[in-house]
Amino acid sequence: MELAGEYVFDGPREDVWEMMRDPAVLATALPGTQSLDQVDENEYAGKMHVRVGPVAGVFSGRVLISDEVPPESYVLSVEGRGGPGFGKGSGRVQLIDRGDGKTLMKYEGELQIGGKLASVGQRLIESVSKSLLRQGLESLNQALQTRLAGEGEGVVEGREVEEEVEEIPYRPPSEAQFATAVVKDVAADIAAQVFSPENQAAWVAILVAVVAMAVGFWFGRKSAERR
Amino acid sequence: MTKKWVGQRLTRTEDPRLLTGQALFVDDVEIPGMLHAAFLRSDYAHARLQSIDVSAARERPGVVAVYTAEDMGDAWQHGPPLVIPPPTVEDVVFHTRTQVPLVKDKVRYLGEPLAMVLAESRYIAEDAVEDIFVDLEPLEAVVDLEAALEPGAPLVHDDLDSNLAAHLVQDKGDYAAAREKADLVIQRRIVIDRCVAGAMENRGIVASWDKKAQHLTIWDTTQAPIPVRNGLAGMFGLASNQVRVIAPFVGGGFGPKIMMFYAEEVLLTWATLKLGRPIKWIEDRRENFLATTQERGQVHDAEIAITRNGRILGVSHTFLHDTGAYDPYGLTIPLNTQSHAMSAYDVPNYHSDLKVVFTNKMITTPVRGAGRPQGIFLMERLLDVAAKELGMDRIEIRKRNFIPPEAFPYNHKIIDQAFAELVLDSGNYLATLEKAVDMIGYEEFIKEEQPRLRAEGRHVGIGIVSFIETTGVGPYEGARVTVETDGRVSVATGVGTQGQAHFTSFAQIVADQLGVSPRDVRMVTGDTAEFHWGTGTFASRGSVVAANAIHAAAKSVRAKILKLASKVLETPEEELELEDGVVRVADVPRQSISLGELAALANPLRGAVEPGTEPGLESTDYFGPQYGATANGAHAMILEVDPETMMVDIKRYVAVEDCGTMLNPLVVEGQVHGGIALGIGNSYYEQLVYDENGQLLNASLADYLIPTAWEIPRIEVGHEETRSPLNPIGSKGVGEAGTIPVPALFAQALEDALADYGVEVLEAPMSPNKLFELLQAAEHKT
Amino acid sequence: MSDLINVTVTVNGTQYARAVEPRLLLSDFLRHDLGLTGTHVGCEHGVCGACTVLFDGEPVRSCLMFAVQADGHKVLTVEGLGTMDNMHPLQEAFQEAHAVQCGFCTPGFLMSLLPFLEENPNPTEEEIREAISGNLCRCTGYQHIVDAVKLAAEKMRT
Repeated sequence: MELAGEYVFDGPREDVWEMMRDPAVLATALPGTQSLDQVDENEYAGKMHVRVGPVAGVFSGRVLISDEVPPESYVLSVEGRGGPGFGKGSGRVQLIDRGDGKTLMKYEGELQIGGKLASVGQRLIESVSKSLLRQGLESLNQALQTRLAGEGEGVVEGREVEEEVEEIPYRPPSEAQFATAVVKDVAADIAAQVFSPENQAAWVAILVAVVAMAVGFWFGRKSAERR
Repeated sequence: MTKKWVGQRLTRTEDPRLLTGQALFVDDVEIPGMLHAAFLRSDYAHARLQSIDVSAARERPGVVAVYTAEDMGDAWQHGPPLVIPPPTVEDVVFHTRTQVPLVKDKVRYLGEPLAMVLAESRYIAEDAVEDIFVDLEPLEAVVDLEAALEPGAPLVHDDLDSNLAAHLVQDKGDYAAAREKADLVIQRRIVIDRCVAGAMENRGIVASWDKKAQHLTIWDTTQAPIPVRNGLAGMFGLASNQVRVIAPFVGGGFGPKIMMFYAEEVLLTWATLKLGRPIKWIEDRRENFLATTQERGQVHDAEIAITRNGRILGVSHTFLHDTGAYDPYGLTIPLNTQSHAMSAYDVPNYHSDLKVVFTNKMITTPVRGAGRPQGIFLMERLLDVAAKELGMDRIEIRKRNFIPPEAFPYNHKIIDQAFAELVLDSGNYLATLEKAVDMIGYEEFIKEEQPRLRAEGRHVGIGIVSFIETTGVGPYEGARVTVETDGRVSVATGVGTQGQAHFTSFAQIVADQLGVSPRDVRMVTGDTAEFHWGTGTFASRGSVVAANAIHAAAKSVRAKILKLASKVLETPEEELELEDGVVRVADVPRQSISLGELAALANPLRGAVEPGTEPGLESTDYFGPQYGATANGAHAMILEVDPETMMVDIKRYVAVEDCGTMLNPLVVEGQVHGGIALGIGNSYYEQLVYDENGQLLNASLADYLIPTAWEIPRIEVGHEETRSPLNPIGSKGVGEAGTIPVPALFAQALEDALADYGVEVLEAPMSPNKLFELLQAAEHKT
Repeated sequence: MSDLINVTVTVNGTQYARAVEPRLLLSDFLRHDLGLTGTHVGCEHGVCGACTVLFDGEPVRSCLMFAVQADGHKVLTVEGLGTMDNMHPLQEAFQEAHAVQCGFCTPGFLMSLLPFLEENPNPTEEEIREAISGNLCRCTGYQHIVDAVKLAAEKMRT
């Protein structure tokens, strides 16, 4: 499966780069992450709880950073295994200074999945992985805001002085909130592919309910089974 | 004999039990102290097993045992090959590699079992499966048939030097010479892909070893309880009469349930013998996609040599057959493909080069059709392409090549799946086709309706194909018929039943012979304690082989009844008749004796049984045909395609079938309907999608689309009847007939509907996506 | 293992009180705890419809529900529809039309059809096919089932 996309961070490249190398931040940005420890200069090991439709479970894995060209680009390799199956992927991440104080992040890579995840989650996998990424990046962006606010005002190259910098409290999203956000994303995705623009809003609402119910049944069943 | 039951549209005796939820299926079996099994299955299609740690699983409360291959010790062995390669063909290359109960060295297909957990409930067992830590080193997988044979491809079996499982060449006449004489040679590549049987009931086993009685009882969703019993007894050192295998009501078979010595069958038997407790395993739907056998994958490079008058001079094809990771079922499926590649036609020259290939996918064994659909698809497609190139009507080209009724028995001289020469016994192919032409209104449609609809811009097409089906193969089946003292009749036979109405149609045979009502015939199938000689329900043979065994046994009992009644009523046998459960003197109704009374008299409490005779009114008889009977049929359909949504709407569907003597036409129709529904699935909605790593991407009914009532049209069934000369009843099988021609029919109809695009459909299954791509490519050309 | 929860469920008119795990599926509860094995499980993911039962009169997939959700509710399974000697007209119609082959999907069809026929006493072929499009059958090709529904509708009207 190919994954590619872009995201704009509200902050300078150097800060984004630093943040992405901070395991504490990464661990909280993606809910479900139970642990993420740096085991080597460019290697992290961790556990993450993943849910894709009816398949859920804990993955143990490794994240490797290579081909670093700070603060421009690097290659991220991920490998994880668990009850729901396994995943293996790698992608190139590029950070581009937009010149307006924001950073454009471009990512392009490939993800291989197997096991239960691959055989029962097909229709949801693409949507859900894109959504997980998007949500994770948004959380990172929020973390970035907090970090920058904490640094106070100040002129940084290429950035205009901010008059009133609001304190943005960073609260990592709970699993339930995250799940809701994913559901909305997936529903919107499906709606966009299937329905005409005029109907989309109404259909998204309906689909959200349907997908949420489906996920909810499985959510309930799986979490019950885990006890 | 007055009233005749065979041939009647009798409703089924077994229905009330099924309709009111009183029928026993394997999962309904509950035994006190029963344990439940769950399996850890590989997430990789090809991987080396480095280590497996079950200690955490063993600790979980409620878990009784966890076993790996190591724990099995000497009991761990490869399954026995079920079908050997044909000894009658020269130079056959065949590498036997059969399945294992639990992985020991490496995983060869997705879902191969690594460990078995036994616990107090299935819920706990599944929890414990997650506690097992397994270290699998992934290996590169082979999934594509052609790539699997390329030098340097990853090997499924490391002890072989390639993934070639078998190589077999069959020749009839001299194709190369025929080719020289042809006016036209058409070459095409034809690809057919995998599907599942998709029975509504998944597999299941309950195995119970009674230590005190030294007796093993197994309930199994198998289609072949007798070989399973004999095999398991042999495997575990038990006498065959220490083992009883019961196939109760089974929720659909369709082929994969005849595969035997599945890992689960072996493991549950081993474990119950070890623990002395009953054990149950019920497959869930995802496991069914991974752990139950599949079929259909083949790639053909084919050609047909034909004269300008449309007369076939020869057919040749080189093909690859996907056997999956192991090949326990031998060459049965591809031999069937070869046997059907010439179909109903007089093909004087034939060449077939078959290579069977190992891949990192589930094992293939017969699924309804069992290799025949592929052969028919090949021939019908080649003929259709030829017809187009010659500018000939598709009906006409078929008529010119049919084997005429006078030519039977027609010996193709190639070897079929029964290792005998392929002999077609009887049929009138022209009559069958003409009936289909008539029923669908072919002429009128082509001349009037289709042009009119096309002028409106609609894409409507008609398809019509012919086919044969080899059925009723041996080796044999048997049956025992007994008249009870209450006047009812008990019958036992070895085949199992998965919905084919055996309890009714077989009873009709007995009713005719003994003058009783079929409702008074108690039929037992699939219980080795009741009958233990036979093979099983497969290859459309129940209504031929088992039915004729029952017929023979009923006739024997009839003879005994007449002999005894003749003494008792002091009347010659010729003057006696059997009707309404009594034996009476013709025209003198007061002089009669009921069958029940006669049965009591036949079992003396005083006196003796004469030497050379037997007590009671009972007989056991067998039937084994020399070779299989050949059924035939013709299907026609009108469909409409929307070239924007790719959705297909079947407007009409006609199926003419000839299965010789019909035991029960209502049942025959049901079989044809069901077969066609599966065939429609095989043609447009169903396909197993594997990625390049051997991951099955659609292992659920949400993504693998079994047709619903919305996709299946109303089917009009027509009958032709050419009795088979090979058995007293004159019957031929019909269980798979519905499925066999559908992909060929679908392809033809689609092409016809999209004639303005000029597409060629040489692949099965098709799908909306594939059709879209074909149309895109076609539009680019114009 | 979690604590058991006490539930009281009325099934086919009989009240049952049991202590169950919260994660126990309704289908397993009916089949194994209550011994009502007429309801069958074909997929456990809500697609095939073999597990359909009536829950307060509405058809539901019992494989997608928990037994605890049925606490205080009424369930009707195929065993409550009729007996072998006294079948419901719908069951009779299925036999007369040869709508049963292996019988595994049959209870699910029957329970889905009961409320449908009550609301649609005179359905067309198209309406019937749509009503049963949520139940899979691999044996019959659906035709005889459709015929059975028409026949049942007729029987139930008189």
